[in-house]
Amino acid sequence: MGAPLLEIESLRTYFYSRSKRAFIRAVDGVTLALARGETLGVVGESGSGKSVTALSITGLIGAGPGVIGGTIAFHADGGEQNLLADLERYVDRKEVDGRIVEVSKDEAGWRRKVERIMAPLRGKAISVIFQNPKAALNPFVRVGEQITEVIRLHTPTKGARAAREQALDWLRRVKIDSPRLRFDNYPYGLSGGMCQRAVIAMALASEPALLIADEPTTGLDATIQSEIVGLLAELKAEIGIATLLISHDIRVISRLADNVAVMYGGSVMEHGPAADVLAARFAPKHPYTTALLASIPSEQNVRDKGYLTVIEGEVPDAVDLPRGCRFYARCNRVTDGVRDRCAQREPALQEIAPGHRIRCWLYAE
Amino acid sequence: MTRTILEVVNLKKYYRQRAGILSTLRWRERFIPAVDGVSFYLKEHETLGLVGESGCGKTTIGRTILRLTPATSGRIVFDGHDITAMPAGELRPLRSRMQMIFQDLDAALNPRMRVRDLLKEAITTHHRLGDAEVARRTGELLEQVNLKKSKLSSLPGELSGGEKRRVGIARTLAVGARFIVADEPTSALDVSIQAQVVNLLRDLQRQLGLSYLFISHDLEVVQLVSHKVAVMYLGKIVEVGLADRIAGAGRHPYTRILWSALVEKKGAEPSRRRPAMSRGAWGVFDFEQPVHGCRFAPRCPVYEAQGRPAVCTDAATEPELRDLGGGHHVACHFPLG
Repeated sequence: MGAPLLEIESLRTYFYSRSKRAFIRAVDGVTLALARGETLGVVGESGSGKSVTALSITGLIGAGPGVIGGTIAFHADGGEQNLLADLERYVDRKEVDGRIVEVSKDEAGWRRKVERIMAPLRGKAISVIFQNPKAALNPFVRVGEQITEVIRLHTPTKGARAAREQALDWLRRVKIDSPRLRFDNYPYGLSGGMCQRAVIAMALASEPALLIADEPTTGLDATIQSEIVGLLAELKAEIGIATLLISHDIRVISRLADNVAVMYGGSVMEHGPAADVLAARFAPKHPYTTALLASIPSEQNVRDKGYLTVIEGEVPDAVDLPRGCRFYARCNRVTDGVRDRCAQREPALQEIAPGHRIRCWLYAE
Repeated sequence: MTRTILEVVNLKKYYRQRAGILSTLRWRERFIPAVDGVSFYLKEHETLGLVGESGCGKTTIGRTILRLTPATSGRIVFDGHDITAMPAGELRPLRSRMQMIFQDLDAALNPRMRVRDLLKEAITTHHRLGDAEVARRTGELLEQVNLKKSKLSSLPGELSGGEKRRVGIARTLAVGARFIVADEPTSALDVSIQAQVVNLLRDLQRQLGLSYLFISHDLEVVQLVSHKVAVMYLGKIVEVGLADRIAGAGRHPYTRILWSALVEKKGAEPSRRRPAMSRGAWGVFDFEQPVHGCRFAPRCPVYEAQGRPAVCTDAATEPELRDLGGGHHVACHFPLG
């Protein structure tokens, strides 16, 4: 793997529920790293904090209190920059035995500072592909022009004609059919799959150091999904841009990711090489990963018309996360030896093999 | 021999397209053929899976069968009664036996009603029962859908996706449904919860002898739960047959493409026996352009490979479902081997 590009350390992003008078701990101590050229897949069920992690990196958290702690080190253009640098002083946290019970934040000051840090990076060094491609395009501007604009804003190509040529080239690279024709189309004239291709072209046109793809195939038809996944795989081989790929579809992740982070209840439960984490038979695994993989209909399931393996219970409430392991209540691998620890204390992410870390007492030293 | 609970003959549902006020002046109307001549039947205790891309008319079929929207033409026979044009009063007692599980979890439950009242409403809609009987039936339903008693006083907003889905299923059972149109019952759910709901639906079928029209775009789930599968393309059924035959040995090019897309997404090696289909230009079907012959021809790789035979685009020879034996029907002039 190449040099680190992005290092997230104990990121915490909370929201406040007025009706429950409590914090929603959407992201609660996420630690992740992404190297140059690497595709890191983030899997997890809804509410596990995948998207909020992505929004925290891009400084796009709207509701309060938002990001309240941690560091996001971004290594680009030769230097290192903490995207959350000096933001700590806008936040006041009050803790009672390790739990944050009160946060006061100078929202306006924080916002201003975030914009100062992020404005030069967003859309240039860091691009995002969102889930709904139609919403990501301006409905009143021709598709080609939207890409041209990105190129003129964020790349050294400033001339109108040269930028247009480059935009057209991007439409070709994302394999939009008859790109010259599509260049002048408005987004409504494009199908969902074509819109997503245009959005991908737009995200890549600024030649970013980091691409964040948040559920890039969700909501598209199955046939289109496989095409977009195929396109992303080709672009990965061709350009090799560092990508944070967020999806709840494990099949998409396993096709594209080099490394995988499994999120649950706002925290990373397992992080390691995709081949090991998602392989059916690789032994050391977080019990949640095992259960998650088992609940996908396997070919065996489908053929035998057998029962699907179920994870009993429900995803934990982000307002009232358990004090011990977040997965303890649903875990089917708890042994008497670790039970007390599971219920009482949260395990740390423990390295069990080079580059493979698991947050589980079963693997703790 | 099990009875046929539902028979649909040449069902059509056209939506009128409003093309601005001027179009009415010009005395010209345009129709969108959402469902265009669909026939199938469903036996008791059986599940028919309905697959196809978005916009192909899957949900419209479900809604039309249940008379949530009137059919343009064709015939719907439910449990021996022709309900196509049955007056509402006569239809009402039959309605209790046919229900729908709606795709949108949140829109299906009144956000201001507690679970207890949501169930009570469903129980008492078709049956006049005393309080004690309602309470007994409520308890029974909770047990059937595996929902905790403590959830009775919750509002839908306080429930998780899986729990909302269970309440929805309980409501269909509460009225005494025998036939359920399940419209994407798992698509809004996470995989771990999806498995719970799929298992539940199959358990209920076994215990209560329910019949399902299972609409989904998740091919694996469809193959798993369905006895038979119908593949839809632009308002028509292009292939229908036993689930495993359709999944493993579909004869229609579109069926093959659907399933090979699944294999591709998994990143598995395409099977050598059946090479993955190469696709023609994918685009959105334009309902405004008149179709001649086979609707799939513009996207069909076989049509291209055969050198664009005229029979595929001849308006007089639109392919009809042909019997291949063993309940397997395909609508294609050049079915794959």
